[in-house]
Amino acid sequence: MSAAVSRRPLRPFGAWGVSIAAALAVVGFVGAIQWNSSGARQAFTTSAQQTLARQVTALEQEQADLRQQIEAAEAEVRRFQEESTTSSAVLEQLNQQLAAARLAVGLTAVHGPGVIVEIADSKRVVPAGENPANFIVLVDDLRDIVTALWASGAEAISINGERLVATSSIYGVGASVLVNTAFLSPPFRIEAIGPDGLLDAFQQHPAFRGRVAQRIEFFGLEFATQVSGDLTLRAFVGTTRFRWAIPLEEVDE
Amino acid sequence: MRRPLAQASLFGVALIVGMLLVGQLRSQQRPTEISSLNAQELSELVDTLGARNRELRTGLADLQETLRGYRLTGPQGQSALEVGREDLRRITAFGGLAAVQGEGIVLEVDGNLDAIALNDLLNELRNAGAEALAVDDVRITQRSVAVQGPVSLLIDGHQVGNRFTLNAIGSPDGLLATMERPGGIIAQLQQFIDASIVATQSDRITVPATSISLVPTIAQPAQ
Repeated sequence: MSAAVSRRPLRPFGAWGVSIAAALAVVGFVGAIQWNSSGARQAFTTSAQQTLARQVTALEQEQADLRQQIEAAEAEVRRFQEESTTSSAVLEQLNQQLAAARLAVGLTAVHGPGVIVEIADSKRVVPAGENPANFIVLVDDLRDIVTALWASGAEAISINGERLVATSSIYGVGASVLVNTAFLSPPFRIEAIGPDGLLDAFQQHPAFRGRVAQRIEFFGLEFATQVSGDLTLRAFVGTTRFRWAIPLEEVDE
Repeated sequence: MRRPLAQASLFGVALIVGMLLVGQLRSQQRPTEISSLNAQELSELVDTLGARNRELRTGLADLQETLRGYRLTGPQGQSALEVGREDLRRITAFGGLAAVQGEGIVLEVDGNLDAIALNDLLNELRNAGAEALAVDDVRITQRSVAVQGPVSLLIDGHQVGNRFTLNAIGSPDGLLATMERPGGIIAQLQQFIDASIVATQSDRITVPATSISLVPTIAQPAQ
């Protein structure tokens, strides 16, 4: 009797004890990792870095303002040219050429059927000893996706609204990505207008299957695709006047 | 009494575990917020954004010049025709629809570059400020990408052999410095690929117009 009485209270205490001990072990483990990473993050906030961060913010603000002014000026130039279409046959023909050239090189907003490809950093916990960079979207992933889309017949592509043109580069600064002049953050949304079957051709293309498809599979990068009946892509906003390259037509004159 | 107390303790522990896990997941996210970039990345970003903003300011000034031309002449007449023609020259040169000439660099490539390597070279040149590019006589447009064909690399359907010339018009000093910097694209490629890449400056490079049609057949102008 006394043995039964003394044994009964021990059972619940034992079960809870194990649970609490396990939970505390997890708390300790995660807390230690958290402590280590927060130490590293604190080290980033030196006064020099704060100054640089402020400069980046100011430059981004300035860029947004410049792009807005360029968009407005481009729109006004187009308005002048559209207004003049009835004035003379020569001018009308010139303005048609201008409209066609703008459309061909990415200076006109376009719409049409296409695909949306979205890619973002992996949500997996980075295992000990693994390189964390494997679990984030790299600039090479975006380049491979864009290469595969162009090679599959895309006619117009934009990344997070940045329209790709002949001078566009996709450039990595550390873990961040610059497209044209803009500093982009994940998730990356790549929109492409192109023919029927664009998505299948893209997914089968070696430029996609070679590296990025494997990284999606191995490291769990977030990835989704969607066919769209009507996408609208904004026009390129940026500098279109060359400083070094002179039209041969002018050289010959 | 003990049971509610134990439940409360377990709840408390679970709450702490949850908060720590969320904190940990957030801390391993990409440092895309400016405040979490390191000093070197921030410094590079300041340089890059500063250079891009200078380009934008120049572009804006040029556009305003075009607008001044229209405002002075109005949308009609001979002067409007001149402004329009100038605009057409600018746009066709920019997009690869017209041949251009200027200073820049020439890369003589000899070796087994794969499609990724060639696309990386083109991307690096664009990022360094190249205004017009051609691989042999193929003008690089927004749609031009190197892909592996049955027997060789292909750009816009043209074969690219093991030996080819990459012409880039832009600041000769800027382009050469970017290509040849230690740890830069040429150094990286030569480390992994059996190829010789020799870059030289040139004061007169001619880059032809594209031979393919860039007029979209599916994409239509949006209102």
